[in-house]
Amino acid sequence: MTETSPYRVRMTGISKRYHPIQVLDDVSLTLRPGEVLGLVGDNGAGKSTLSKVLSGAIIPDAGTIEIDGAVVSFTSPADARAARVEMVYQDLSLCDTVDVAGNLFLGREPRRRLAGLSFLDKARMHAEARAMLDRLGIVIADTRLKVENLSGGQRQSIAIGRAASFDPRVLIMDEPTAALAVAEVEAVLDLIRAVSARGVSVILITHRLQDLFLVCDRIQVMYEGRNVAERLVSETSIEEVVNLIVGRKFIARSAGAADSVGVPA
Amino acid sequence: MSDNAIKQQVPSRLVTASWHEKAIARGGVVSIALFFVVVCIVFSLATDAFLTTPNLLNIVRQSAPLLIVASAMTFVITTGGIDLSVGSVLALTATLSAVLLQWGVPWPVVVLALLCLGAAVGALQGFFVAYEGIPAFIVTLAGLSVIRGIALLITGGYSIPVDPASGFNVIGRAWFIGVPVPALIAVVVLVIAYLVFNETAFGRYVTGVGANAEAVRRAGVNTRLVTLGVYILTGAAAALAGIILASRLGSGSSNSGQGFELDVIAAVVLGGTSLFGGRGSVVGTVLGALTVAVIANGLILAHLSPFLTPIVTGLIILVAIWLNFRLFKGGSRSR
Repeated sequence: MTETSPYRVRMTGISKRYHPIQVLDDVSLTLRPGEVLGLVGDNGAGKSTLSKVLSGAIIPDAGTIEIDGAVVSFTSPADARAARVEMVYQDLSLCDTVDVAGNLFLGREPRRRLAGLSFLDKARMHAEARAMLDRLGIVIADTRLKVENLSGGQRQSIAIGRAASFDPRVLIMDEPTAALAVAEVEAVLDLIRAVSARGVSVILITHRLQDLFLVCDRIQVMYEGRNVAERLVSETSIEEVVNLIVGRKFIARSAGAADSVGVPA
Repeated sequence: MSDNAIKQQVPSRLVTASWHEKAIARGGVVSIALFFVVVCIVFSLATDAFLTTPNLLNIVRQSAPLLIVASAMTFVITTGGIDLSVGSVLALTATLSAVLLQWGVPWPVVVLALLCLGAAVGALQGFFVAYEGIPAFIVTLAGLSVIRGIALLITGGYSIPVDPASGFNVIGRAWFIGVPVPALIAVVVLVIAYLVFNETAFGRYVTGVGANAEAVRRAGVNTRLVTLGVYILTGAAAALAGIILASRLGSGSSNSGQGFELDVIAAVVLGGTSLFGGRGSVVGTVLGALTVAVIANGLILAHLSPFLTPIVTGLIILVAIWLNFRLFKGGSRSR
């Protein structure tokens, strides 16, 4: 591994156009090892698209991605996985009719060879899935349950557990706490702190601004497909971030609302 | 302490509910198994000839093409696709086997070549479905028309005889250790299909593609290749069925297998495989195919009009699926 670059991830000049709409316009993003970056912006600002570019699910029209100083070009999510970039998708990306263990190991099922043929090693899969869930404190009675029979919070926990459990270098989480109860949100924030302490770089996309101030080192604000601002968490406040997200034109109302709530960082 | 109590309670509740839960989780298979048993009992009581070894072996022998193609179709339908061209592929391979044998091509070569042809036809259709994104219904509907047309063009509409002395006839007519060879071939295919569907990564991805193709793609799986693969399976299975049929009947007819695709789809759907994808069962498909075969056989033995077969089969399809939706509701949470 070349440690010449101070950045774990460096995306420069990323652009993506879906026919009439320029979803991403010359966007850059940097991420250091162990850093937690909050990516915020209004709906349609391009946060999810940018993170999908990094996870290989979307191929950009232009721009370069460097990981640990080496230029990579992801043509599929398999490439990003091989580079140990893992993502928790907003829609969770689970197969409802496949069991819990099957979803956790989707795409990297343990195999065993029998008479020269490759079969799923289901016993190992369920045992390791159980260990994985216990390690993350996720309560699911049986790893043989189909995911469709689980609650929203359990489903989200599985999506998070899957991304966090295979030794990622970069962990992208798109709205990971949307369906979670209060205690479960705390568990996810603890998980983010724990993995970043291990040196995993984390990108957190969320509308819950208070969460950002609890776990992030830095916040990057996007607006209509462009970067508009970057702030260190220690040097900004919720009011300023709200203003940056909604754009200057609503500055007075937004700041007033934030002031009346009165939640300084 | 209270935390412990909850944790102990959860698994114990699961154990007590397991019989019912399993029945619900496998609702499709359970309801078709019930139908199968009921139909068998009814015909055993109504006729003397039904429950005899020769008759049961005859049922399996006659339904071998259906069983083979339905097991492959289970994969296609589980991905959320459909293959309407299997009847036409069957007709094409049946006629081509007769034609090639008349040309003096050795029969093992004929069999291999036609299996490859079936797989190639499947691959071509699978390419349009998986890589070009054309709906499977359209691609295979076109295939149904074109492939049947080729078979008709080759034969001019006539049926072509197979030399009765040819070793080719072993496939459809011979018996081995007291069992008809077609039945043995069907059993081997079904065992392989069961293992691939349930015990391999490919089978897992087939279910995954039907449930959430984008999730499987994001997990780093080449989903297009999986989709292409299932159409190769139906193509090759239909070719095998065509070979068995030509061998059993001693001739290749371009008119064979008309409506066969509908029998196959009916067997698969009866077995609890969802047409929307994501849910499939090879065991259910076997039961579905055998139920259809037993009804046809039993009605003839009971000296009832064979024309009742489609009526009864159709009604059972409707009632079985209705039972799935009503009686076993809860196996699939509607969202």
